[in-house]
Amino acid sequence: MRRNRWLMGLVLAATALAVWAQPAAARIKLATLPVRERVEIQLENENATLVEEERVVTLLKGTNHIDFSWTNTQIDKWTILFRPLAVADTVRVINQSYPPGENALVWEVFADNAGPVKVRISYIIGNLRRNFSYRATAENSEKTLTLRTYMRVNNYSGEEFGMAGVWGGIAGIFQKEMGLQEAKEILVAKFAEVPITKKFIFNWQSGQRVPDEPNQRYVIMDYVLKNEGAKGAAAKPAAKPGEEATTLGTFPLPYGKVRIFVKDSKQPPNEAFLGEDWGQFTPIDDEMKLYLGQARDVKVERTVKKNDRTAIHGNLFSQEVIVQYKMQNFKKDALTLDIEEDMNALRNEFCGGGKDHEASWELLAQTTDKSKVERKSAQKVEIHVALPAAPKADEKKPDEVKKPDEVIFLLHLMFKNEW
Amino acid sequence: MNRVLSATIVAVVLLAGVAQARNIDLVTLPPRDTVQLTIYNSENLTLVRETRSITFKKGTNRLEFSWANTLIDPTSCYFRPLAHENEIEVLDTTFPQDRPEVLIWNVDSKFEGQVPVEVSYFTSGISWNADYVMVTNVAETTMALDGYVTVVNNSGEDYEGAQVRLVVGTVNLVEKIAQLAQPPMPAAAPAAPPTPMPVKAAARGAAMRMVLAEAEGTETPVAAGFAAPPKIVKEGLSEYFIFTVEGQQTVKTGWSQRMSSFRAREVPFDVLYRYRPHQYGDKPVRFFLLANDVPHKMGDSPLPDGMIRVFRENGRDGLTFYVAQSSKYISINEKIELNVGKDDQIVYERVVLDLGRQNFIYDENHKPEPIVVGWDETRKWQEEIRNYRQKPIKMEIRHVLPGDVTFGMEVPGLKLYDFHTAEYTLDLPASTKKKFTSDGAFHLGRNQKQNRVKLAGE
Repeated sequence: MRRNRWLMGLVLAATALAVWAQPAAARIKLATLPVRERVEIQLENENATLVEEERVVTLLKGTNHIDFSWTNTQIDKWTILFRPLAVADTVRVINQSYPPGENALVWEVFADNAGPVKVRISYIIGNLRRNFSYRATAENSEKTLTLRTYMRVNNYSGEEFGMAGVWGGIAGIFQKEMGLQEAKEILVAKFAEVPITKKFIFNWQSGQRVPDEPNQRYVIMDYVLKNEGAKGAAAKPAAKPGEEATTLGTFPLPYGKVRIFVKDSKQPPNEAFLGEDWGQFTPIDDEMKLYLGQARDVKVERTVKKNDRTAIHGNLFSQEVIVQYKMQNFKKDALTLDIEEDMNALRNEFCGGGKDHEASWELLAQTTDKSKVERKSAQKVEIHVALPAAPKADEKKPDEVKKPDEVIFLLHLMFKNEW
Repeated sequence: MNRVLSATIVAVVLLAGVAQARNIDLVTLPPRDTVQLTIYNSENLTLVRETRSITFKKGTNRLEFSWANTLIDPTSCYFRPLAHENEIEVLDTTFPQDRPEVLIWNVDSKFEGQVPVEVSYFTSGISWNADYVMVTNVAETTMALDGYVTVVNNSGEDYEGAQVRLVVGTVNLVEKIAQLAQPPMPAAAPAAPPTPMPVKAAARGAAMRMVLAEAEGTETPVAAGFAAPPKIVKEGLSEYFIFTVEGQQTVKTGWSQRMSSFRAREVPFDVLYRYRPHQYGDKPVRFFLLANDVPHKMGDSPLPDGMIRVFRENGRDGLTFYVAQSSKYISINEKIELNVGKDDQIVYERVVLDLGRQNFIYDENHKPEPIVVGWDETRKWQEEIRNYRQKPIKMEIRHVLPGDVTFGMEVPGLKLYDFHTAEYTLDLPASTKKKFTSDGAFHLGRNQKQNRVKLAGE
């Protein structure tokens, strides 16, 4: 405890002994120094950290002055609350005064009886923040993963709190030693065997171009996990590594960086780093999507097979378009590819840009399978195409090259009433 | 009064009844008996009324009033006897050229003996503000509400044992008191801009020090010995509301003092989510709704504007901090709407599911071909509300629909908030999702004949 440098203290100045009427710069006090009995750091609000501390002050019968002061810390003095516990009726705060030029305040407290009183003091403090991060380790099958949630507390507040309860808004309170200028990463929860879906996504507008292939874009991959689990199961803090896993779906998953690893097929397995992404705040029952990178073994070529305009009157026209997606899956497992199209962007490709109205469109008959075209909105369409696994090599003809089948999907559209 | 007293009054016992150049004075120093501060928070203005006892002789009496290193407006200083009013009259007031921050009253008295008098003046540098602490219960159904007032004294003067009155309301001033408090520039002085006197200037006049010595015995102890927080009595007066702090308060210069102004417990309130993207952004925000009235265990006075800090009991014998938000002045019986911010566990999404255009009109004279100049557009929206919280919610939704629009939706209570805004309120049980569709028919271009929303079926 470096009290000589980082004073944040509470002193009780007995009225009878204090020379109170002195100016602020020369306040002379005989004081007792009640120590903290309990500290809890509330990090639930990401914009403001609330510290609650309990101390036992010994009050004289009658008027007491309690001096709370701090140095080298950023306490919002207008947020400081003083609450006597258990004896609220017999101990009353008369007023609180803020001396000039000091980080301090003085409570005038009246006690009906002399004796020790437990009080709770709360305040908002700066430079004591938290953030969350995750480590996701996928099984080799990529069907499940183990998700560890960590809370990192950065204590640059200028105060050391000793053993303090740390509450991040999820999963329980952790009793941790919070030292000065210290960062502490706490394992908040561990979720084992979390089911995941691996999604493959093709997006012509946002996808990265493939060199020398003007009609291709790279396919990207996401892991999707759902924050759901056994209903009603209480969240259990995993204060120690290896503790019994908790279940998802008992609290929202906070925003934070997710580092993603995958196990190889060796025994015992090694882990390889797959990448990282920002995990968005995920309420209970909602999905968290984690971007993994590009899937080089899935190729998609997009070409336009038809682009016909039909004049209606004056500058009003309709445009008939057939977009062809030719796909190949070189992976050993079958997969479903999601093709995303922005209909405004697609319309602009063929009807000209700079429109002040949104696209009005209709799906036409030559579409390969209308049931696979999911209308997310008037502007967003997702096409779900099943791609078979690449053919296995023939054991009898190991040198024979077997290419994956090409899968063709046609999207046949009419953009109506354009000008 | 042992340290900083500077506004003082000196009864100059002179037989000569006129102000004149002199180097030797014999003075008496009547101390303050009472002092009252009436602090206006709308302006940097405090009315100080102090009473003292002065012994008058028959004939002309000279009274000197000085206020070194304070922020008193000399034009506001006023002297009046509290007894023998018909026998005591101020004949003139002199502001000596050679001594700033001093005035001399020549008082004619037909009475001989001790008389209580009142000296009043305006000073700047004293202000007050209100703030509030709300602590909701775990279920967010009731709250404890504490109001505070804080008096801030930067006037340069210690006011000890003062009755403090706080005025809620606005006053009109044609000149700022802080400017009036600046001493006039001597005629021969260079034309430098006037600077305010330092509030805590160390230099004090000799008269003041004499007063300090004499006033020592009259000091009011700081620890006034209140066994309970002083009550604050609220009283309406004209367009103002005056909060009078019970008992005597001591606010030293440079200090601030915060006192409880009211306490309300078990105050019921409602939680309402609002989705108004044009006002609060693209996410629903949560409001705590209550009113400054008797059903909400308040309503005995207006609530001055001030910061409201909202906490919630976290169910673990502690608090969670929600938000600090400034509040405007709240009249008696007026509603209180407290925006406690976005709630990530309540999701609202609205997408256009389908749209179509028809009823085209053309400018047939346009060359080389006619062009579309008017059309109708129909839109079908899908709205989805997801309540991930473990308790039911109520959400109020407003859509601003510019132009000539007919809007329809199968929800109870659909109404127009104003000419281009539709509004409806939905109840959503705990942990549920609901989808709604709505339709809009827009008349655009030359087809637009109105600028208003019409609800379908009306």
